[in-house]
Amino acid sequence: MKIYSITVFSTENEEAVNLTGEYELSGFGFFQRGSVQEFMKFFSKTVAERTRPGQRLSVEENNYIFYSYARTEGIAGVIICDNEYPQRVALSLLSKILDEFLGKFARNTWKPQTISYPELKNYLIKYQDPKEADQIIKVQEQLDETKQVMNKTIESLLQRGEKLDDLIDRSQEISFQSKAFYKQARKTNSCCTIS
Amino acid sequence: MSVKDRTSEFHAAVESIRSRSSNGHGSFQARHNLEHRRPLLNGNNTGGKSINGSNGLNKGEFSRMAGAIGKDISMTTAKLQKLTKLAKRKTLFDDRPVEISELTYIIKQDIAKINKQIALLQQYVRDHKKNNKQADEHSSNVVVMLQSKLASTSMGFKDVLEIRTQNMKESKDRREQFMFSSNQRADIPAANSPLYNTQKRNEQQNTDFLALDMSSGQVQQQQLQFIEQQDNYIESRATAIESIESTIAELGNIFQQLAQMVAEQRETVQRIDANTDDIQTHVEGAQKELLKYYASISSNRWLMVKIFAVIIFFFLIFILVT
Repeated sequence: MKIYSITVFSTENEEAVNLTGEYELSGFGFFQRGSVQEFMKFFSKTVAERTRPGQRLSVEENNYIFYSYARTEGIAGVIICDNEYPQRVALSLLSKILDEFLGKFARNTWKPQTISYPELKNYLIKYQDPKEADQIIKVQEQLDETKQVMNKTIESLLQRGEKLDDLIDRSQEISFQSKAFYKQARKTNSCCTIS
Repeated sequence: MSVKDRTSEFHAAVESIRSRSSNGHGSFQARHNLEHRRPLLNGNNTGGKSINGSNGLNKGEFSRMAGAIGKDISMTTAKLQKLTKLAKRKTLFDDRPVEISELTYIIKQDIAKINKQIALLQQYVRDHKKNNKQADEHSSNVVVMLQSKLASTSMGFKDVLEIRTQNMKESKDRREQFMFSSNQRADIPAANSPLYNTQKRNEQQNTDFLALDMSSGQVQQQQLQFIEQQDNYIESRATAIESIESTIAELGNIFQQLAQMVAEQRETVQRIDANTDDIQTHVEGAQKELLKYYASISSNRWLMVKIFAVIIFFFLIFILVT
């Protein structure tokens, strides 16, 4: 599962303005990359224009899914990924990126050329793996691991129980035998003398 | 051709028409005139009045009452139509329950009043049974017609009430569908509330925003679709968190089972401990006995030597004697 691009648009006017964007084009042939990037920009722009403020949208096209989230402050984010990438992770990723964007750049700096958002590239690379992006998935995985460890512990505990049972039997037997031994010894030491 | 003098007929016709129009029309002015005329008539004519006059009085009274009832029924029907229009509205948030219940109450009272009036009219007709058969028939027909009108109005009223209850149920369902997510969160145990408080706040913001969208009343269908998408995202988050919560609960369960099993095994270990203590005691005792035995055996030799010495002494004595 891959993310192909993350783009941020400003939707104040009728036409969305591309503020910043990062593209992952390594899956395409060298000569197609330019046109693929143009296509991505165009599609993202269209989807961003169609998204109403405060609304999350997902559009599916062939094998690619566009997730977009428009904020009421006038910006919208679009993520293009393949159809395996989980929806929830993509949408929460959008929320996170837009929050950070809003925090970093004031409203009057929203012009396409003046914004440099290098973290976006890091995000794009880092979040190719959805497990990194979503806390929920991470916590769930850790919990599953812990559960497996616990299961193993319980199994070994059961084995320990078996061994302890074995020990009990053996110790009981020794106890009986030593008792017999003691009685025997006492008997030979009794009143009758050896003639 | 002979000219027939029909002036008297003409006069009679005019009279009858005039009286009929003033009695049956129910126009306000005419009724007033009639009322004004009646006391005059009453005052002027005592006891033995002509049948015409009394008939006219009765007919006037009857038609007045019937007219009043008819007017009431029409007013009630108009109110019922208004209530129907109100009850048919299917908007979720713009319902006007106070108005609807008020209107229902008013209509109910009106119908009861009209019922009473019709009963009075019927009684009146029965009391003042005239000898004129056609007039009787006419009055009973009028009463029956008024009754049937009232019956149809009350049927309509009942239908409207049914529609209203159905719509209320539907709107409640749809309202639950939107507020469903926030309702579900209310069932979660308090132990996880720190985990869920921020989530709940976020979703409530979302649903409030949705409520605003709905009340603007634009393209509702499209809005429903968008709201469903929001809900999908929120619901998926909710399910993920719920699975985490259940996993944590399972883990807690496993830990508890672990502790219980260890406690059981501790008992077993104690038994083993007791057994080994017994073994040690026995073996020590046996060792002591053996030592004693050994000691007694080694000391016994002396006794045996002595006994042998005595026997040999007796033997020697026997041999010396013989």
